[in-house]
This record gives sequence, C-alpha cells and structure tokens, in this order.
Amino acid sequence: MLRPYLCPIRAHAYILGPSDYTEAVPHRNRTTDLAIRGNLRSAAVVVLILALPPAALNGQQAQPASSRYTAPVITDTSSLKGPRQPIFFRHDVHTGQDLIPCMYCHSSAAISSEPGIPALQTCIGCHQLIGGSTPSHQAEIKKVRDAWRERKPPEWIRIHALPGFVRFPHMRHIKALGTHTCVTCHGDVQHMAQVSQVSTLRMGWCVRCHIKNNVTRDCSVCHY
Amino acid sequence: MSNSVDRRRFLKVLGVTGAGAAAVSACGIGPEPTERLIPYLIQPEDQIPGTATYYATTCRECAAGCGVRVRVREGRAVKLEGNPDSPINRGRLCARGQAALQGLYNPDRVAHPMVRNASGVFEDIDWDGAIQRLTAKVREAQGKGIVFLTGAEQSSFGDLVDEWMRQVGGRHLSYEPFGFEALRAGNRMAFGTGTLPTYDFANAKYILSFGADFLDTWLSPVEFQNGFSRAHAFDAGRPASMSKFVYVAPRLSLTGMNADQWIAARPGTEGMLALALAQVIVTQHLARLPTPPDASRLSALLVGYAPRAVAATIGIDEAMIVRLAREFASSGGGLAVAGGMATQSPNAAQIVAAVNILNYAAGAVGTLVKFGADLAIGSTNTFADLTALMSEMAAGRVALLFVHGANPAHSVPGAFQQALGKVAYKVSFSSYLDETAAACDLILPDHHPLEQWGDSRPRAGVTALQQPVVQPVFDTRPTGDVILKLSGKTGTFQDYLQNKWRARHATNFDQYWMDGLSKGGIYIEAPARTVRLAPTASGIRATAPVDSTGDEQTVVAFPHPILHDGRGANKPWLQELPDPVSKIAWHSWVEVHPDTAAKWGLATGDFLLLKSSFGAQKFPAWITRSVRPDVLAVPTGQGHTAYGRYAKDRSANAFELLGAQPNDYGGRSFTVRASATKTGEHRKIVTTEAGPRELGLGTTEVLPLARAKALHRGDHPFHYEETPEYAKDAVEWWGERQHEKASLGNYRGEHPRWGLAIDLAKCTGCGACVTACYAENNIATVGEELMQRGREMAWLRLERYWRTAEDGGPQGAVNQPMLCQQCGNAPCEPVCPVYAAYHTPDGLNAQVYNRCVGTRYCSNNCPYKVRFFNWHNYAERDGQYDAFPDPLSMLLNPDVTVREKGVMEKCTFCVQRIRGAQNQARLENRNVRDGDILTACQQTCPSDAIVFGDLNDRNSRVFELAGNPRGYHVLAGLNTKPAITYLARVVAQASPSRG
Repeated sequence: MLRPYLCPIRAHAYILGPSDYTEAVPHRNRTTDLAIRGNLRSAAVVVLILALPPAALNGQQAQPASSRYTAPVITDTSSLKGPRQPIFFRHDVHTGQDLIPCMYCHSSAAISSEPGIPALQTCIGCHQLIGGSTPSHQAEIKKVRDAWRERKPPEWIRIHALPGFVRFPHMRHIKALGTHTCVTCHGDVQHMAQVSQVSTLRMGWCVRCHIKNNVTRDCSVCHY
Repeated sequence: MSNSVDRRRFLKVLGVTGAGAAAVSACGIGPEPTERLIPYLIQPEDQIPGTATYYATTCRECAAGCGVRVRVREGRAVKLEGNPDSPINRGRLCARGQAALQGLYNPDRVAHPMVRNASGVFEDIDWDGAIQRLTAKVREAQGKGIVFLTGAEQSSFGDLVDEWMRQVGGRHLSYEPFGFEALRAGNRMAFGTGTLPTYDFANAKYILSFGADFLDTWLSPVEFQNGFSRAHAFDAGRPASMSKFVYVAPRLSLTGMNADQWIAARPGTEGMLALALAQVIVTQHLARLPTPPDASRLSALLVGYAPRAVAATIGIDEAMIVRLAREFASSGGGLAVAGGMATQSPNAAQIVAAVNILNYAAGAVGTLVKFGADLAIGSTNTFADLTALMSEMAAGRVALLFVHGANPAHSVPGAFQQALGKVAYKVSFSSYLDETAAACDLILPDHHPLEQWGDSRPRAGVTALQQPVVQPVFDTRPTGDVILKLSGKTGTFQDYLQNKWRARHATNFDQYWMDGLSKGGIYIEAPARTVRLAPTASGIRATAPVDSTGDEQTVVAFPHPILHDGRGANKPWLQELPDPVSKIAWHSWVEVHPDTAAKWGLATGDFLLLKSSFGAQKFPAWITRSVRPDVLAVPTGQGHTAYGRYAKDRSANAFELLGAQPNDYGGRSFTVRASATKTGEHRKIVTTEAGPRELGLGTTEVLPLARAKALHRGDHPFHYEETPEYAKDAVEWWGERQHEKASLGNYRGEHPRWGLAIDLAKCTGCGACVTACYAENNIATVGEELMQRGREMAWLRLERYWRTAEDGGPQGAVNQPMLCQQCGNAPCEPVCPVYAAYHTPDGLNAQVYNRCVGTRYCSNNCPYKVRFFNWHNYAERDGQYDAFPDPLSMLLNPDVTVREKGVMEKCTFCVQRIRGAQNQARLENRNVRDGDILTACQQTCPSDAIVFGDLNDRNSRVFELAGNPRGYHVLAGLNTKPAITYLARVVAQASPSRG
C-alpha cells in the first residue's frame, strides 16, 4: 500500500544533528504526564491514519495519478498573495500534490493549544534524499540543506497571529471538528503556493462559527 | 441647534468612520512585519509547544531540601510546585521556594566571570582566563592556607569540595547564619549525641514550643507545617483530634500566633520552665518512668525545680505550670521543641537540654522525637569555627579563600569584612554581587540550582536529586565543573555525581538513576536509633539570666520568616509579601510593646536608634502587644549594602547589632543588650494592615473547641438573616429575573459552580499562597513607594486579626486568606458599564481585560476589596514601574495575559488552569474530575487549608466542606452569595474573642 506521507528515511532512522549540537535542552526526565503523553503520541498516530484519504483507508491504491492535484509551476512569484518567506516553501506541493497530512509537520495541533511549526530536522528528514525535480525546487531545497548544515533555522514570517489576550486551543477544535478542518480557518492551504491569511481571526468571525455550531460564547473561555 | 452637529448625526459620522477604519484594517490583515517564527533545529523530545513539561528537582533556597516540580514552557521555567513524591514537603512549597524562580531570572545576577583589576574595579574576564589565573593562585597558595567556605552542603558537591581541599591541603568550612549549635550541644548534654533528630508533629497530641518557629524558619518549615496542620486542625471526623499548641517565647512569631496559648516567659528562663514541667510529671507520676538508671538520674536532676520554687523567676503562676504539665503528660503524645529565640541566649544549650529532659520524662523521645533520620543541617560547622577562621584570616594565615553559597559579610558585618581584607586572594562563586562577592578579587558565577546537576541529603534516608531544567540564562558555569577542572580531573560534575550514585547502587544503575530523576530523589526509611540519658545529663541545670540594670533593653534579632537571613532580599516577590505577623513589607522594623512605647512617647513609624556594644542601627517602631514589654525585637534580612536593586540600601541590618563572639557551646547569641533612643525621625510604615481587629464585622469566625465538637452536619452556628425584611420583595423579584436569565443562551443547561473552601483552623498565615498566586498569575510587584500608597496588586492577601485574651494581650491570631469570593450575586457586575465584569455560566466573576476601560466602579462596589487597578504600566520594558526587568520577564506565565495600565484585575480561581483541565478532559473523552483542577494557592498550601472544586458536584470535596457546620460566608448579610466557604477557626479557650 502506498503511503505517500511516510517519508522512508523518517520511518527507519532518527536523524541527529552534528554531534556538537545535541538538543536545545540537556537530558532530563519528564516526571508527570508521562503516561498521558504516551497516549497522546498514539492518539497522534491515530489521527494521522484517520487523515488518510478514504481510498487509502480502504486499503486501495491512493487516488489515481490522473485525478490527483498537481501543483503548478510558478515562474512569477510577485503576484502571489501573502508575505514572502525566507524559503519559498510550497504548501501546495507538500500537502496538495504529495498528500502529506497537515499534522505530519504541525504535529501538536491535535494534542496541544499550539500547532507548532516543524523543526528543521523534520524538513531534512525527507530532503536529505529528495532534492527536487526542477531547478527552482532544487534551489529552494538547497536553502534548507544549507540551513541545516549551518545550524541556522529559517526565520518564517508569521501569518496567523492572534492578539495576546485571546486563547485558541487548537486541539479542542480539531477534536470537535476533525483533522480535515484546518482549512476552515486557514483556507485552502493545499492549493496555495504561498500561504496568506484568509480569515480575519476577529472575534465576530469566531463567534459566528460558535453560534452556528451552538457552542459556548462565554467570554472567559477565550479571554483570560 | 439645526446647524450644530447633533448627537444622532455625530454617532452616524462616528459609525461611518469606524466602519471605514475597520475596512482599512481589514484590508491590512496579515502579519505584523516584525513577528518571526523560528523553528527548532531539532525538536526537543520532551517538549510540546503550548503544553507544559514538568521536571522534578530539589529546592535549594534553604537546607530543608524540599522536592519541587518545575513547570517548563518552551524552555522557560515558569512555576515551581512541590513534588508530591518527596517525603519532606509532600507536594507543598513555601513562599521562599516559590520565589526561587526570581533568583534564576534575577536581573542582578552576575552574568559572566569578573576579576578585580589593578585599580580595584571589576572587569570582565573569559572563563579560560579566569580558570588559568585561579590555577596559578591555588598553586601559589598551597601550604599558606586555603579555605573553602560554603553554606550547608550535605551533598555530592560538598564531598567534591572536601576531596579537592584534601588534595590542595586546604579545608572546607560550612556556615549558616542561623545555625543549630545550641540544639546539638543540648542533645549532646542530654543524650550524648550531637545530631538533630526528626520531629513528628503530625502525631503529636500536645505541642509545646520553646521559641522554636517550626512553621517559618526552624529546620524544615514546610514539612513541619504540614505535620502541624494535620495534628492541630479541627476535624470533626476524629474524636478530640485537635492537639493543643502552647508557645513559650518573648515575642509572637508566625508560629507563635498560631498557638492556642502564649506564655511570654522571661527570655532565658525557658529551660527552667521545661525542668519544672518535667519535675511535675515525674513527681506526680503522670507518665511512665524510664527504666531504673535513668529514672533515678531524672529525679536527681529535677530536684530544686518544683514549680513553687521557680514560678516567680519565670514570671508565670505556679498553678499554670502544674496545669501545663498535667495537660502535656495526659495528652498521651506531648511534644516539646526548643529553638529560635529560646536558643539564642547565652544559656541556650542548657535550655535545649532541659527541653530534652522534658521530652524524655514524658516519653516523647523515640516516638515523636526520632533519632536516626538525622537532619543534615546539624552537621554544618559551628559559629565558633567561623570566628576561628576569621581570626586566622585577620592574622594573615589564609592566602586563598573560596566562598560559595554563603554571605558572611552581611551576617557578620564588621568583623568578617575586616578579616576578608587581610586575605591575599578571595574567590566568590556567588550568582549575585552580594556583600561578600563585592569584596572578592575574582567572581566565578555559579549556575543557579535550577540550571545545574546536584543532589542534597537533607536527612538520613532522603537523597534528593537536582537536575537542570532550563538552559543557563547567563555565561555562568557550575562550580562543580570549575573545581574538577582546577583539580585536574576530567569529566563534568554530572559525571562525578553519577559516579557517586553508582557507588551507592551499582546494579541496574540506569533504572536506579531514572527512578531518582523521575521521583526527584531516592527515599528510604532511615533506621531509628534509641537514645538514653547520657551520664552528662545529671549536670543539666537551668539558670535564669542575671537581671541587668541600667537603661539598656534586651534586643532580640530574629530570622525574617520570608527573607530569612537576607538571602531572599533581592527577590521582589518576597520583598512585597508582607511579614505574616507585622504585615510590613519592603523594610525592617523594631517591635515595641505599647507600654514601653507610651513610656518613651513613641508612635508607630518613629525611628528608634538601637545601640549595642557592637554597632548601632535605626529602625522604625511597630507598636504591638505581640512582644514582651521588656524586649525589643528586630528582624534580620534587610539592610544590604549590595546584592542587587531590590535589596540594596533598604532599611537597616539587624546583624550590625550582634557580636561576633561565639558562646560556650559554639553558637552565636542573637540576643544583645542595647540602648534605645528616639531619633525624632518618622516614616510611614509600608503595611497591608488596615486594622488589627475585625471589629465585629463577622469576617472571621472563631469557635471554642467544645462547641465545635458538639456540631453536627446541618447545624448552622453562624446563621445570618441574609435578606432583611424590607428588602425581601426586591430580592425575590431580582431572583426571578436571574432565574429567567439562567435559562438563556450560554447559561442554559448544567454547569459547574466553581467554589473554594478555606479552613481557618488549618491556615497558619505563612504566605506561600500569596507568592504562588504572584507566580501563577503574572501579578506585578509595585515597589515600596506604591505599596505605601496602598496600590499593591496581591489578588490573594492574608488578613491577620489578633484575638485578645482576658488581660488585653493577644492570644494568637486568626489568619484569613482574602481573595475574590466569586459571588453568585456579585456587586461588581451590574456596575460595569462595558460588561468587562460579568458572570460566567460556571459561576466565576470573570474579568475581561481587553474590554475593561478602567472606570473602577467595580472596585468601588466590591465589599471585599479584592479588585486591583493597574495605575501604571508595570510590564512596560524599562518603564518607571517595570516589574519584570529582563530577564525577569522570562518567568511570566504564557497562559495568563499580562495586564496593562488602566485595567482592573482580580482573582479568577486560576481560570487558565480550569480551562486547561477542561481541554485535557475533553481530549480524553471525559468530564473534569474532582481534583483535576488545583488552584495555585491550593497547590502550594503547606497546611492543606484550601480546597477547590465544583459545588454542583455532590461527590466533590468542596461540596462536602461547604456543608460543614463550621462553614460560613464572609459578609453573608450583604446577600452576595460567595462561592468561598470559610470554615471557622477552632480554639482551645472556652470563650474566645473573635479577632
């Protein structure tokens, strides 16, 4: 069975960085929530499996290549919406064309309030082997590899920012609405060559959805 | 009128403009240009963004060695909580432990190594250069006297220092300003062992403290407070469960104000009282006598201490002594402890020995006083050792001095400073530029305990492990690493530590080590040791101090319950936390009895110049009945000349008054004779106390023990007519409207009603909850000036009300934690013009900060005065009132909004913890269970006085407590329907005053 989202390298080896750069934190032992975290890990795996296209779940070949979305070749990036990122990372290629689920990279979205952005290690896990098919892709992937070599992660420009006095627990929303609903707020990222903000993320916009779904509109649920 | 802009038109224009503005900003949605997201290079294995990780380690703020769990968010330590696995603190923590974070992120930490240059000022040096220089100095000084001075170090680090000192021919000395020399000497006299036993407060039926402040500064405060509250709390479930607590001391401390009875014996006569009690017990056969040789020894040494003979000298009634002895012995579990003020006088060792005799006669030794699990602090060097070192230093016989974890230049001000000047080369490992470090030649800043490996053996059987929980904040290095490098060994201190542990447990070491890491240490039961009376015991005598004549007063210097010997003075949380007894913050004071004050014409705030033969200092007077008329008491802790912005030049140093001569038992005397003169200066005291009594408002309720015992479920001893007759109609109408509202929108359906139960019989007023609240909720410290104007922001404050005895003196105090009552019928809500204060479906009085416009109507209308206004921008970087100067801002809790100027704030029952638990429960497809949510104050409370939960859940602990007959609501007559139930304080007296 083809599992396009499972990077072969990732599945077999845990790649460590250069030996002088070990971890951001020294070795320690987590004391509480150890069991819970184990559960969350398995929950995350479950989520990943559920996120497969239905065809894959049925054990069949993933969608036939012909009906699959193919990300366009982009020559002129100036007309794209949204801010220019340090690396021209194409969500449409990764998640639209290659069908990598959102939560492969944004792994904590279903278990934590923050979705997280992938560590550079996650990128290099695949791109150690995958070098890109076109010169423009190769140039961008080279940036990733250079960053890894120089141990200098790219500084992404933030697109979705909530004001400081609002809490948005990602996991509650994914739990309630499902893993496919990232698009509800973040737009059709699968087909965005460059990600831009599509929702206002303002309170009226939040509340409209909360009214529609008949869920809480208590202030102190988000504001504290 | 037609030409002018009328209101309607104005609003129209405003609306259009507003829409335009909104449209403009809608077009401009998108990122703030400066906001960047920098990913990890490698995702740390145990960190989930947005989710806290807890690491077990050990608190090193005092020598008690409590276990802590550090909450780490995205690599920053944001909160300390007690480790429930630790047998010492059982998951609880004191205010000083909570504030360890402010030591870690202190803005005045030494950021890199420094060396004193030729012109006498410090300049930066790199680590390699510093270590090279030091290696040369060590070689040079070998044979000329090398000394390593540390704090109490019963740890692998202490072992390493010992080893290194042996290697270079130096010696290791440990020093604690408030040592326990008298306890050790007294134990040696009575039992022939110089160790410190453990005290089982939890199983004591009668506690008699001779000056020992076991709730605040004595030995292991959190452990003892936890035990004390279990013994002393009133619990209707157990028959006669409340043990009586009698406190004998010249001054009421935090411990003393929790006593059922205060006996203000003359200072220095405590030993006499103890022997008199033992005499009554032995002669009246109130307890089983020990086996023959000891029995005759006992009776022999007690001759001459009949109550009649000594009562006058002690200053209390003969009948009182007999009654105390009877109560003590007949309780079947009497525990007497000596310490604090009783062990500060010249005859302190005698007093301790006498109290040992009392324990022995009553049969407490071996049951409640257990030798075997000895407390490590008992093995520090004595003050005499330090003074010997000082004379060596002064004579030039010390060529190289290392100081780590001690600040003797503050606690022995003149003498140590002078001696330090004669030492050829001084090296400090201090993290802060304290008085001792400032006088050194080389500063090699150590990691903070939260940044480094280590362990601690607070008592036999307990080995607490300490692991780094954050990356080092500054360019510091663990002193263990530095020593290993200097001694030419390879590896880091972490390897050294692991090897030490491996030596103890080689088989399956990895499992052993991981066990220690996850539980915070290895805990085993230490075998008990039986002690008998030593032959020297027959020489125990209790003498009364000679009455001095002249104008001099007895001045007692006592350890500040929060700042202790001064080590906490550079932490704003601790400076802003009022002293539990005097309620004074940010400065020191001298306690004066009203009679004495009247004699001298002294008012609170008038400065008094105290002049002993060793030094003179000025203190503002605090006039109180909680001190004997012939005694003046001053706290230590303040008066730093260095140590950082929060500590420096603040008030006066009480250590200046004390001598540097050791007593015959090797300890230091904290009682001096001093003249007191009024200087004519005056200052406004910084206090949170509005009045010493609650004046019959019924905010604190007190029940006599007999009455409390007779209560049954369903009784209402504090029944108030909640609604006066004339208001019945209005209230009924209001109730109906509320009922209608409760079926609308969000409010429809089943909801929890969050509530709190606070047991005043357990609360000791220690203040741990206050600091925990500051830490959890990003509460700003406002500083001395604003606090003086009553603008402190403590969401939770402790109100201390004195109870009065028949003679007018205080009879202890009732401490009441006062926080937002989350009223069901809240006066703050209807007056808010913008609905920032509103009622949530789960019963909280929420405060929406971004909606608040700062009218302060809510605060004006709050009868409990628990709302706090941000008069300034306390979070403004480098602003005038910046409460979180970098890197202190790193301890801000990311789950709580940092409030701005012009916003009202208040306790929210830790709503972030409620929402966090709800999110977690929903993720696990269940409902929130009772006990899932612990508010910060509840979590830290050493006496377990606070219980949080859902009042609508009939199986919750808080529901049960809310129905307790001792329960009452504060100002219930205002019909506010608070969610907090206070359980009345229970006291031993038959007709107690209310407070």
